[in-house]
Amino acid sequence: MHSLTIMYMTKLLEIRNLHASIGGKEILKGVDLVINEGEVHAVMGPNGAGKSTLSAVLTGNPAYEVTEGEVLLRGEDLLAMEPEVRARAGVFLSFQYPVEIPGVSMTNFMRTAVNEKRAYEGLEPLSPKEFLSLMREKKKMLELPDKLNNRSVNEGFSGGEKKKNEIFQMAMLSPRLAILDETDSGLDIDALRIVAEGVNRLKTPENAAIVITHYQRLLDYIVPDFVHVLADGRIVKTGDKTLALELEKNGYESIA
Amino acid sequence: MDTKVLHKGEIFERVYTNEPSLDIRIIQEAGSRVKIGVLNIRSSAANRIVVEQQGEGCETEIYALAYLCENQNVTTETHVTHAVGGGISNQLIKFVLDDRAHGRFIGDLKINPDAQKTEAHQTNRNLVLSEFAEMRTQPQLEIYADDVKATHGAGTGQLDESALFYMQQRGIGKQQARLLLVNAFMREVLDALSLDSVDGIIKEE
Repeated sequence: MHSLTIMYMTKLLEIRNLHASIGGKEILKGVDLVINEGEVHAVMGPNGAGKSTLSAVLTGNPAYEVTEGEVLLRGEDLLAMEPEVRARAGVFLSFQYPVEIPGVSMTNFMRTAVNEKRAYEGLEPLSPKEFLSLMREKKKMLELPDKLNNRSVNEGFSGGEKKKNEIFQMAMLSPRLAILDETDSGLDIDALRIVAEGVNRLKTPENAAIVITHYQRLLDYIVPDFVHVLADGRIVKTGDKTLALELEKNGYESIA
Repeated sequence: MDTKVLHKGEIFERVYTNEPSLDIRIIQEAGSRVKIGVLNIRSSAANRIVVEQQGEGCETEIYALAYLCENQNVTTETHVTHAVGGGISNQLIKFVLDDRAHGRFIGDLKINPDAQKTEAHQTNRNLVLSEFAEMRTQPQLEIYADDVKATHGAGTGQLDESALFYMQQRGIGKQQARLLLVNAFMREVLDALSLDSVDGIIKEE
């Protein structure tokens, strides 16, 4: 018997010739990248290469200006969407520096976020009971304490708690595309393992992740399908996970 | 001016909401307690609150919140005097200013030479939501006793852009995000007065 399997690769995100600047200074100088459903892409590169700019531009941070190129999310013009619409459409950023919001409780913040996304999908808001049990379930996964509910968003959290809290929010919102911006920075090995396990558990055949990192370490835990090297605003090399090991050994100078 | 004398150990608590012209003077005798709230929500006003601690061991709390838009204008003046020792005073004054609103705070805190062991705090925080709104703050502290604990702080700022973006990145619309931040800013005063919410405080778009 001979069987033929046809694999349909569904494009989730397509970045074409993306140029972006901040304060008149060009940071991204023509980025091309295609991400299919189910894939994990690592973006590595030296400081100042434009890694964080890429995540800022994809999420619509108003500090950055796109000067050329386009980005399609499942065929739709991502750059034309407001930041909150991008989020509701499934783009999630785990911030390198999560923001503290005094006076806004985690519960209130998260309930608003979850229900805005549900409204966008045409779903009814969660009942208080459903919402709290979802919070409890996801917090357990990240080993976050219960008392977090009543605290203000990120206020007084340790560095590790802030990063866990990002992945917790990701778990609550089940994004189609998760962008993890230096999620490993400032994490000890235990926190790193918890965060990475969280990310791995959220992986489905329909969603994808961009893992931005300076070091290979995180990629021992979150194994990428592709590794891209970003240098001076462009992707200069793409390979599989062995590229990350090579970079760790020989440094970025060997490539750029 | 409406003058009220609080006798020994008496308690006076009152929240004044949207009074266009508040002018009160309270004289506190020993061990009396005053807690005053002043709310000006979308309405102009001139407030003058004068409190004199003339007996020992008094407590004074003043909480004021103005939430103004359009051309509204609020001036809040507090004059707190510690004439004798062992008293506590605590003032928290907040303004939220949108559109072309004007806010002014004059905070006069006086600790007389005889008022040793006084504890006095005055805080003024303001949130300016529009480039056409304006806040003026004039704190004035006169401290003539040496064994006291006194703090004061004043600050005026805008909404935290990074917090707004963070909330938008979680799918919260910009207008909703602004509301959450403004409410968070006002919460401290409402909590101090044990108020859940105040009518008209949320800006309809």
